Order: sequence, then C-alpha cells, then structure tokens
Amino acid sequence: MHKKIVLAASLGIVFAYCAVALLAPVIAPYDPHAITGAPLSPPDRDHLLGTNDLAQDIFSGLIWGTRATLLLGFVGAAIAVTVGTAAGIVSGYYGGLIDEAVMRLLDVAMTIPIFPLLLILTTFFRPGIYLIAVLMGLLGSFQGVRLIRSQVLSLAVADFVVGTRALGAGDGYIMARHILPGVLPLAGVKFVTSAQHFMLIGIGLGFLGITDPSVVDWGQMINRASQNGAMILGLWWWLIPPGLAVTLISLALAWLGYACEDEINPRLRVMRV
Amino acid sequence: MNGIYLLKRLITSFAAFCIAVTIMFALLRLMPGDYITMYLEAIYRYAPPDVVEAFNHVYGLDRPILEQYVIYLLDAFRGNWGYSFIYKVPVLTVIGERLVWTLILLLPATILATLAGIGIGAYSGWRRGSKTDIALLNSMIIIRAIPSYWLALMILIIFAYYLNLFPLGGYVDTGALTTGIDPLDVANHAVLPVLTLFLFSVTGTYYLMRSSMLMTAGEDYITTARAKGLDELMILRKHALKNAMLPMVTLITFECAGMITGSIFVETIFSWPGLGMLTYKALAVRDLPLLQGILLIDTLFVIAANIAADLIYPLVDPRVQVGDDA
Repeated sequence: MHKKIVLAASLGIVFAYCAVALLAPVIAPYDPHAITGAPLSPPDRDHLLGTNDLAQDIFSGLIWGTRATLLLGFVGAAIAVTVGTAAGIVSGYYGGLIDEAVMRLLDVAMTIPIFPLLLILTTFFRPGIYLIAVLMGLLGSFQGVRLIRSQVLSLAVADFVVGTRALGAGDGYIMARHILPGVLPLAGVKFVTSAQHFMLIGIGLGFLGITDPSVVDWGQMINRASQNGAMILGLWWWLIPPGLAVTLISLALAWLGYACEDEINPRLRVMRV
Repeated sequence: MNGIYLLKRLITSFAAFCIAVTIMFALLRLMPGDYITMYLEAIYRYAPPDVVEAFNHVYGLDRPILEQYVIYLLDAFRGNWGYSFIYKVPVLTVIGERLVWTLILLLPATILATLAGIGIGAYSGWRRGSKTDIALLNSMIIIRAIPSYWLALMILIIFAYYLNLFPLGGYVDTGALTTGIDPLDVANHAVLPVLTLFLFSVTGTYYLMRSSMLMTAGEDYITTARAKGLDELMILRKHALKNAMLPMVTLITFECAGMITGSIFVETIFSWPGLGMLTYKALAVRDLPLLQGILLIDTLFVIAANIAADLIYPLVDPRVQVGDDA
C-alpha cells in the first residue's frame, strides 16, 4: 500500500520535471540569461525567487535548469545502459576468450577513478552538455557490463536457449530475441539508478565550474550563489532552490530504482517503504 | 595466497597506471598547437626561431612521437610528473603537501562509516521488515539521494553559520599564525567535513551490508542454529554477522573511488587544503600537469585499496583462498 504511494509519487515527480523541462519557455517569465531588474533583489511578484548578482531571474534559471539536468541524466544513462547491456550480453553469451578479455579490460578500467578522469576529459574538450553526457555515459557503463553479464551467464545455458540453438537459430538471433528480453528488467533498473547518478555528477561538474556556457544548470547556480556570499547575506532564495530541486528529482529516481529492484529481485523483497 | 591471482592483480594495476598516463600523454599531444605555442607563449612569440628550436630540442619535443611517449611513461614511473603551471614546482611536491590533509579527513570518515554502516546494516537486515528497519532504510535512501555538495553546504549553513558550533572553513584559526598549528584546533575544523564525508559514505556500506544480511539470514545454517536452540543474539554474532561481512571487503574499491569524488566537493566547500581543493583550483586555471598528477595519485589510491582488500580477504574468511573461483 505505502509502496504504491511512494512509487506513484516518484513517477509523478519525474513526469512533472519532464513537463517543466518541455514547457520551460512557457513557464519561465524571463530569459534566464537576461538582465531583468535590480541585482540581488529579494522575492516579490515580478521575481518569484528574486534575482542573482547579475540581475538574472532565479526562478527562470531554475525552470530552464530542469532541461540540462534531465538531459545529462537520461542521455548519459541511455548511453551507459546501451553500452553496458551490449557488452554484457556479448561477453556473457560467448564466454571463453571474449569474456576473459572483456573482464580483464574492465578490471583495468575500473581501477582508474572515473570522476577525476571525467574532470580532465571535460576540461580538455570544451565542455558542451552533450559531450559531458556522452563521456559520463561511456565512463559510467563499466559497472553495468558486470551486472548484465552475470545475468546472461545463467541465461546462456538455460534450456530454452539451448533448445533454440538446436533448432538452428544463429547467435545474433538468440541474443536479440531470447537473451535481451531476459536482461531488460535489470537494464531498466540500471537505467533509473544511472540517470540519478549522472544527474548528481553532471550538476556536480557544474558546481566545479565545468559547464556548457550556453546552458543554465543548477550546479552553476549553486556555485555562483555560494561563491558570491548568498550564505553570509542570508539570501536563501538564491542558494536553496537549485539544491532542493536536484535533491527532489534524485530522491524520486532513487525510490523508483529501489521499488523496481524490489520488484525484480524477490530475495530483497521486504521493502515496504 | 594464490600467486597467479596476485600476479594478475599486479598486471591489472600496472596496466591501469599505464593507461592513465597514456590518456594524459594523448591529451597533451591532441591539444591545438604544440607545447611551446600553448604554454610558453612568451618564448614562442618573442624569442628568435633558433631559440625555440633549441628549447624543443632540449626538452625532446622534436623527437619521434613514440620516443616521446616512452620517455613520458618512464618518467611517470620515476615520479617525474612534470611541473604545475600555477605553482611552478614539481607536481609531486604540490600533491605531497596536500595528501596529508586529505588523509586527515578521509581516514576517520572511512573508518567510522565502515563500522557504522556494517553495524546499522547488520541490524537492519537482521530485523528485516521491522519498523526500525524501514525507518533506517528510508533515511539512508534519502541521505544517499542528496548530492554531496548540497549536503556539505547545508551542514555548513546549519552547524557553522546558524548554530555557530564549528568554524566556517579552513583548517586552523588565524591565531595559528602566532601560536603554531594546534592539533585540537585542526580537529575542530575537521569535524564538519568528516561528518559530511561520513554521511556520504555510510549509506553505501549500509545498503550492501543490509542486502548481504538478508541473503545470510535465509541460509540453512541459520535455521539449523535456531533449531539447536541458540538465542538470537548468539546466532547473529556467531553465525550471521561473520558470513554477511565477507562481501564488504570488496566494497572498499568502490568506496575508495567514491571518497575521492566526495572529497573534491567537501574540501572545496569547507576550504580544506587537501587534494580535493587542489583539484578545484587546478580546474579553474586548467593546470593540466597538476590535474594529471591528481589523476595518477587517485589511481594509485585505488590500486592500494584493491591490494589491501586482497590481503584482508583471507584473514576475514579462512575458507577462501583469494583467486579461487568459488
């Protein structure tokens, strides 16, 4: 019962964010880059969350920032899951030398800490939002490979797979029609958790000053607010909303992920949230 | 310990280090223009061409790319990681000074988080489905969902700014200029960053320990112990806990990489003079050699953690020889 409410609430939040992202030009009263009045003005009727030090409307920035956040999360997750699932299926299905090679490569790749590497790569290439999403997706796909592979290992020797092969089906056909459907639920959960993870990382990059200058993102907003004395001056409407917005979507996706995981992994089924 | 396994681990670590170095080498070569036009513009623009040529010759920049690569790789192993653009001293020297400060935060945070995570996770898993378990699980999910930089800011605002319990940032009071560094003062400054890193890290340990406990609690030997008439506490301590703790050793690798990420944000927000804040500074001015050095030291961190886990594993579980397929 409670679980259903939480699931509905999380889905609701995710859909609401998507709607806001799509309708950003309609909802946001100003261009988030435009100078719209006096700098550092407190919230009033014209500026729901006041203005920042550059006299940009904070509420409009918050609305437009939804786009960057969702884009970073979902594009990154789509790439990570696609790469992870493909590599995991191939590695687990063929086994032998291919599997050994993929596993050893993963061992090596996972020894290099991903976040500092991401920082260097994004700094080096002029950071564009798609580039950041793609890099996060590629570097973040390693864990998924392991996860999917372990599932494929047991599927590859299942009776229905052996039977299909006896009927003369090719490897490609078996992987696409019989193995892939078996790992899709797991890949789905991975997609949700990765999306959450990449949103936090992507906004974290913005916080560290690695951003696409043409895009408004919440990390940049938090950084700007904390570096320009929002805390000392008590300007909560500048500092708090972007962080709260990230936390809310992150929480919704986390709950969604746990609920799905709970659904497909009966051994963990005790979560009544 | 299985020799072949250890050898594999060493080869993997070696390869990882080489790849990290290779990425940096490739990036530096891929840059538009060469080293001298990009970074020593003054020489390039005002010095006569033969001086530029001499410079390139002295630093080996005119040699074949493969030879440059080998020299670069060998230098990385020798600890010659180049000079920082901003600090104008060898990268390793800059990193060495900051490493201690990062460890002052990371060690207590990691140890506390591991102990607390194992304890709370074990309890939660053992009493699965109870009100306490559900409450704990949900609080952990919430803490885990909060971005570390946001958590750090909120902790700073609440405990340092509004409640005024701890300093706002830095690692010592200004009084240290006259009296020298007082360890107690440093500890006082470290409380909030350590707390943030602790919260950041404890959730992962908790979640894994809880799932591990759920699996263990369903095992036959637990049922057997109960059938023997042992009391619950005894079963938990003697049978469940020891077995459920085994997967925790492998967590150390992920945890280590996560802590590096966390420390970048936490140190930046609390102005703590460690590797994390150094990363932030190096990013701001695009100090590539320094960033490269940080990546290499972070890789070494993870390698060390991996090897430590390998060495700890047989101690924790006498049945398992590391490297066995079981």
